[in-house]
Amino acid sequence: MFDSLTRHRTIALLAEIAEIEAQTLRGSERLREDLGLDSIGSLELLATIASELKLDLEVEDAMEIHTVEDACVFIDRQYRAQHPELYACNA
Amino acid sequence: MHELATHERDIVPQLVDQVRRFMAREVDGAAIDRRGVIPESVRSGAASLGLFGMSIPEEHGGAGLSLRAVCDVISEMARADRSVAIMVGLHAGLGTRGPVELGTKAVRDAYLPRLASGEWIASFAATEAGAGSDLASLRTRGEVVGDTLRLTGEKAYVTNGGFASSFTVLARTPGFGGARGHSLVFVPRETPGVEIGAEEDKLGIRGSSTVTVSFDGATVPLDHVLGTPGRGMEHAYHLLTWGRTLMSAGCVGTGRAALDAALAHVTTRRQFGKPIGDFAATRLHIARMAARLYAMESVVRGVADVHASGGSLEAVSAIAKVFASEGAFKLVDRALQLQGALGFLEGPGVARLLRDCRITRIFEGANDVLLLRVGLARLAAHDVPRGHILGVVPAPLRSAASEVDGLAERLGEVVADVRARHGVTAVRHQLVLQRLAVAEISLYAATNSVLGASSEEQFALASHATDLLIEEATTSLDALSRADADERRALAMSEVLYAPYRDGRDAPGLSP
Ligand SMILES: Cc1cc2nc3c(=O)[nH]c(=O)nc-3n(C[C@H](O)[C@H](O)[C@H](O)COP(=O)(O)OP(=O)(O)OC[C@H]3O[C@@H](n4cnc5c(N)ncnc54)[C@H](O)[C@@H]3O)c2cc1C
Repeated sequence: MFDSLTRHRTIALLAEIAEIEAQTLRGSERLREDLGLDSIGSLELLATIASELKLDLEVEDAMEIHTVEDACVFIDRQYRAQHPELYACNA
Repeated sequence: MHELATHERDIVPQLVDQVRRFMAREVDGAAIDRRGVIPESVRSGAASLGLFGMSIPEEHGGAGLSLRAVCDVISEMARADRSVAIMVGLHAGLGTRGPVELGTKAVRDAYLPRLASGEWIASFAATEAGAGSDLASLRTRGEVVGDTLRLTGEKAYVTNGGFASSFTVLARTPGFGGARGHSLVFVPRETPGVEIGAEEDKLGIRGSSTVTVSFDGATVPLDHVLGTPGRGMEHAYHLLTWGRTLMSAGCVGTGRAALDAALAHVTTRRQFGKPIGDFAATRLHIARMAARLYAMESVVRGVADVHASGGSLEAVSAIAKVFASEGAFKLVDRALQLQGALGFLEGPGVARLLRDCRITRIFEGANDVLLLRVGLARLAAHDVPRGHILGVVPAPLRSAASEVDGLAERLGEVVADVRARHGVTAVRHQLVLQRLAVAEISLYAATNSVLGASSEEQFALASHATDLLIEEATTSLDALSRADADERRALAMSEVLYAPYRDGRDAPGLSP
């Protein structure tokens, strides 16, 4: 459930920043080469997600994100690590 | 460090000397500025010296010189005339690096020999009226039609465009990669559908051609796509590293021209019974100009060293571009001030230098925007060693080196603090990023100045440059600690100031 929540938000925000339809985004698309986001654009994206989902994200980590899928997986992992209370009932 | 490669040690100084004589003999900068055009004879003269082929590999008819060597030549040209230096520098960098590094065999074989001989002059077209700093918002599109690419759109401010025979065009190509994929495309001018607009009337570099170029269904074979289709944005950023480095080299030439003019003036102009150069205040201005110029040259050489060792130029070329363009403007402004009223007149030439170098703080990345990138790159850099130079310098540079090490340490602490406080949201704190960038640039310049010094004169210049740069870095880091307060104050003030302009029509302003 939370995976799909973070994935959904990540994709929606990416689509908004890249000015394209969310449905047309594919996981393999690269932020820089395919979506035209430069380093500032990629960080803007993560900063928006960080504010929305109340996450602390490191700049270095952001540099390791190249594709839409990388972004979704990374955000999900961070969300789980930083909000363990939301996942506790799943155990 | 900062040396020419062994195989270039003889030929490059000779070429630079030839270029100096050519520029003195054939180029009348004042006339070019007045008429707004570079005479055909200058273009053909530059071609016969082989300047258009400097950076093109030998197998395609060029000289295959290193980035360092090309920087030396461009710097010498800019010392005499910036319009001519930009014509050649743009061709050697942004104009031809695409086909040289990314072109298919067909493109390289067909076009590079003509580009190397100067029969063809190259240009680079990325900017559009609505897409300047924000290149990703460009609208020019390339559609795949069979085995061709059909381009539609309009590019603005294309340097060399008025007489160029080729354009390296950045376009959206949704057919390649993702929905927002871009590609770089090599477009010969003769392609039907390519239209060249009128020359822009400019403040400076008036001889440099600047035009709009439109593509109305201009169609080229698919093998004219440069590099990987869909990765045009990344490739364009790569080409810009060459462009920015060569532009920085041009700024070194402009800075040298400013220092030449200032020296000639202060040693001969007499006031209060003595040459104005004898006043302590003037001596300090001159010493600072020389030190800054030395630091600018050291930075450009440092970037060329990174290139020669196969490193990435992305961050360092942005550092060089900001440092050299701001530095050149400071030097020229100081030279003009030292010339007094005479400097304000067009005749002596410093006024033209000022007009000519003003653009370098804007094009190939506006400096305010590049500072953000440099700041971000510094925040993102893992374990990049900074400082630690005290142990490797000769005795006369120990004090400067220890200051550099001290700055590196302080900057490291500030970076750690910004990371901890802001994480990725640092991207939203422009003042933090820019102030960090100024310190990072000063550190890079001071490090290169100290490590590149190899004579008594250079030891003195490097020490003086270090003092100057540490002062600037310290001011910037002190200001960083109040960035949030400054941002809040600027926000409040600007909201009030913007209000009457927001919906435009009746607001006071410049008349058209
Ligand atoms: C003589 C000349 C030759 C040129 N040659 C070429 C060429 O050959 N090929 C080519 O493709 N282009 C060329 N250009 C275009 C040049 O590269 C652009 O002008 C430049 O990139 C800046 O874009 P802009 O003018 O649209 O400024 P804008 O993007 O509108 O920026 C204006 C100012 O806004 C501020 N600003 C913008 N974005 C931000 C931000 N994110 N944060 C904070 N501040 C910001 C900065 O202060 C900036 O200086 C040339 C331009 C000129 C004038």
